[in-house]
Amino acid sequence: MTTPRRLKEEQKVAEAPENRRDERVDAPSRVAEAPSGSAGPSAIGMKITDLAAFYGSFKAVTDVSMDIQANKVTALIGPSGCGKSTYIRCLNRMHEVLPVARAEGRVMLGDQDIYAKNVDPVNIRRRIGMVFQKPNPFSKSIYENVAWGAKINGYRGNMDELVERSLRQAALWDEVKDRLKESGFGLSGGQQQRLCIARTLAVEPEVILMDEPASALDPVSTQKIEDTMSELKKQYTVVIVTHNMQQAARISDYTGFFYIVNMGDPGRLWEFDETEKIFSNPDRKETEDYVTGRFG
Amino acid sequence: MPRESFQQELDNLVGDVLGLGKEVGGSLENTVRAMETRDENLATSELGVDVRYKARGAELERDSMILQARQAPVARDLRLLYTVQSVTNHLVRSGALSEHICHALAETAGAERDEDLEASLVEMARTARNIFNEGLDIFENRDIDRARDLQAKDDKVDLLYSEAMNLIANPSDTGAGAPEWRMRAALMVHYLERIADHGVDIGGSTVFLVTGQRIEDAMRQYLERDINPDGE
Repeated sequence: MTTPRRLKEEQKVAEAPENRRDERVDAPSRVAEAPSGSAGPSAIGMKITDLAAFYGSFKAVTDVSMDIQANKVTALIGPSGCGKSTYIRCLNRMHEVLPVARAEGRVMLGDQDIYAKNVDPVNIRRRIGMVFQKPNPFSKSIYENVAWGAKINGYRGNMDELVERSLRQAALWDEVKDRLKESGFGLSGGQQQRLCIARTLAVEPEVILMDEPASALDPVSTQKIEDTMSELKKQYTVVIVTHNMQQAARISDYTGFFYIVNMGDPGRLWEFDETEKIFSNPDRKETEDYVTGRFG
Repeated sequence: MPRESFQQELDNLVGDVLGLGKEVGGSLENTVRAMETRDENLATSELGVDVRYKARGAELERDSMILQARQAPVARDLRLLYTVQSVTNHLVRSGALSEHICHALAETAGAERDEDLEASLVEMARTARNIFNEGLDIFENRDIDRARDLQAKDDKVDLLYSEAMNLIANPSDTGAGAPEWRMRAALMVHYLERIADHGVDIGGSTVFLVTGQRIEDAMRQYLERDINPDGE
C-alpha cells in the first residue's frame, strides 16, 4: 500500500528534529496553544503494517498497511462485508474481545506496538477510544456517563471541569448543562451519540475510532457529529468508518477504500490517499466505480 | 448497475452539449463559406444565432447544476459535469464570435478588399473551423492523444494571425482595401484566433475529463517520459 504524497511530506516535517512529537508534548508552549477549555493530551499517529484479522480460520482482512496521521480525520469506506469494521476494531484491540477472533501484523501507536507482549489491552483502549454505530449510554445520569471512565481510571483532577470540558468538546454542553443529573437515556439519539463521544473524550484518549457514528441519526444530528469531528481533530487523531461517502468527502483528510475481489476473499485496503484525490481522481478503477455509486 | 438513471441523465446532458456543438459548427461552416464566396446573404442569415446559443448554454448550465445538487457527483462524474460546463462555455463563445464575423462581413459587403489579407483571413477561418471541429470530436470520442496534436495545429493559426496583422499594419500602396473593411478585418483576425483557442481548450478539457490532469501537466509528463523512458 502506498503512502499518500502529502502524508509523506508531513511525516518528513514531523520527523525533523525541531518537530519531534515527544518534544512538543512536553513543551509548555504546546499547552498554551491548546484550544480554550481543553487539557487533553496531544494526538498521536498510528502506523499499521501487514495487518490481517481472523475469525477462527476465516481471514476477514489481509495485508493492510496504513499510516494514520495525527490530528487528521481518516475515513474508511467500502462495500458491506469488506472488513472496515473488523479492521478498525483491530486498532484498539477490540477485535480480540470475541473468543475466536485474532489479529496478525503490527499496529504502532506512536512508538508503542499495541500488540506487543506485556501491553495491557485495557490501557490501549483508554488511549484509543471508540464510538460505535448505535449510541450506548450507561443507565446513569448524563454527568456519571461522562465521569465514569475517568473515575475508574483513577482521575484525580476536578471532575466537574472534566465533565464540562468533555461535553463542550462533544458539542453537547449547552444542551444538557441544566440537566446533568438526568438519565442519559432521556436524550435524543443524536444527543446520546454525542454523550458517548464525550464519554470517550473524558478518559483523554489520543486516538478516537468511530464506527459509523452517524448512520442511525437524522440529518441535523449527523451534521452536529460532523461538526464535532472537525473540532476534535484539532486535538485528536480520528478514524471513522462510514457508509456515507459524502460524509467521508466532507469531513476526512485521508480516505482508505476497502474492497473484496471475490466473495469469500479477505478484505483489502485497495486504495489509500488524500480524500480530495479519492473523490476527484482515484488511481484505481474499483475505487472510482465505488465512490461514483456504480456498485456497493 | 446502480445509478442507471443518473448515468442516463449524464448521457443525455453530453448529448445535448454535442448537439449544441454541431449547431455552432454549422454556423462556423456558414461563416467560412460566406468569407470564401463573399456571400452577404449567407452571412446575414447567421445574425441572431448568438442569442439562441447563449440561451441554450444557460439551459445546459442549469441542467448541470441541478445534477450536481441532486446527485452529488464525485470523481469521473464530477469531472464530466465540470467539463460539460467548460465545453458549453467554449461552444457559446465560439458561436458568438462566429456571429460577430458574419456581422462584420454583412456590414462591409461590397467594400473594396485587400486580396492578400482576405486570402489570409479565409485560410485562418478554415484552420480555426477545423480545430474547432476536431476539438468537439475529441470531446465526443474522448480521444486525448489528438488533444496534444491540436495544440500544435493552433500554432498555424498563431502564424496566420501574425501574417494577417502584419498585412493590416503595413498595407500595400495599391489594393489596400477600404478603411472600414481593414478595420473589421483586424477584428475578424482576433475573433478567428479566439475560435481556434476555444477548439484547443475543448480538447484540453477532454484531457482533464479522462485523466484528471490539466493538459499542461499531461504534456509535461508526456515529454519527460520521452526524454527519460526508464523514468529515472
